[in-house]
Amino acid sequence: MKVKLEKLEVQTRRDQELIDITPQVERVVRESGVRDGVVNILTMHTSSGIIVTEGLPCLEMDVLNHLEALAPDQGDYYHNRYLDIDGRLGFNAGAHLKSILGGYSAFFPIENGQIVKGSRQRVYFAEYDGPLCRTYCIQIIGK
Amino acid sequence: MIDFHTHPLLVREMWERYPDLRRVARDVFFIRNLPQPLETFLLELDAAGLERAVLLPIDATTARGCQIYSNEQIAELCRMSERFVGFASVDPHKRSAADELEHAVKDLGLRGLKLSPPTQEFYPDDTALAYPIYEKAQALGIPIVFHAGMSWEPRAKIEYGRPIHFENVAYDFPELKIVLAHLAWPWVLEAVSLALKYPNVYLDTAALYFDNPKDFIRFAMAEQAPVTVWERSLRHQIVFGSNYPRVEIKNMAAAVRSLGLSEGCLRLIFEENARNLLGEVAG
Repeated sequence: MKVKLEKLEVQTRRDQELIDITPQVERVVRESGVRDGVVNILTMHTSSGIIVTEGLPCLEMDVLNHLEALAPDQGDYYHNRYLDIDGRLGFNAGAHLKSILGGYSAFFPIENGQIVKGSRQRVYFAEYDGPLCRTYCIQIIGK
Repeated sequence: MIDFHTHPLLVREMWERYPDLRRVARDVFFIRNLPQPLETFLLELDAAGLERAVLLPIDATTARGCQIYSNEQIAELCRMSERFVGFASVDPHKRSAADELEHAVKDLGLRGLKLSPPTQEFYPDDTALAYPIYEKAQALGIPIVFHAGMSWEPRAKIEYGRPIHFENVAYDFPELKIVLAHLAWPWVLEAVSLALKYPNVYLDTAALYFDNPKDFIRFAMAEQAPVTVWERSLRHQIVFGSNYPRVEIKNMAAAVRSLGLSEGCLRLIFEENARNLLGEVAG
């Protein structure tokens, strides 16, 4: 049994955006040497997410617009207050809620050294409060 | 367009070069977020539609035993991006303060002075401690950004930032341009009165003390003071500042733009008044 964990940084460039990280996931799986197992992808931040959807720019916009409608940045949130753990105000509850709605992780099986996923499925890092340098994890478990 | 009030506290490259900056950020300036690459700072400016940022240090050697960025470190950052405008800071408790300011401007190329009375523990109208510095700044032709109003730093007393303590400075140094930061909140009207009375007094918008940037700026700039005072009376004496990284630049810029001010007034706030303070335009 092998367990491999890789932490990757991604520099987001906009307030909200989806960044296709499928090539990075495939590379880590390939380099792990695991033939049969699973790959988990998760973000390390509560104002970002991991999303799986079809790789089309129109869908990327629809996903972000829908999440904004469900959890708008400008809302009547208790989080709009000073947080002494940060030394600054919160006021990004909308980003945290989007992260909950969109999810913070994804998982796929690995078979014969290949990720088992649909031909249209792409893995995205979802930024809800950028631009920021973010970290996400890819963990491979298998043999 | 310019953000006239930023603190480069969380720049990762600088933490790597100067490890003590981590402690200074967390325990003295009291900002607890993780560091970010310099590129994030520049992307923040992009996201807000701004080109440049004024970088502000605070020399708190006597009061806190450290510099919240030295003048040399600010100059180093300015060499890393032409989008940065570096200001100096000096410790008012040091006899050499005025000479250090001259060195920072003439030799390091810094273009203004930042003083924070609550952090540095001095009253701005203290003639013995502070006036030699003001005389030097006036002679050098540089502006001073003063922290005014409440500070989030736990050891920084609000009393030092009351706007009325700046009246003698404005009165005694009529050629010295001074910026009262953070709208001197909560004393917004008191700060407005100083700016109305003294043409060398400016205010910056870097104020956020509760709610979110949009709601707070509306409260401070459209309820505590009428929004018309910025449009009609102080349009040449108010500059945009974010107080990044306590607030993201994009959020403060959006808040100020949401006030309903005219395009002409916003252009003054975001660009022309700052350029005037920096001596980039006549008058």
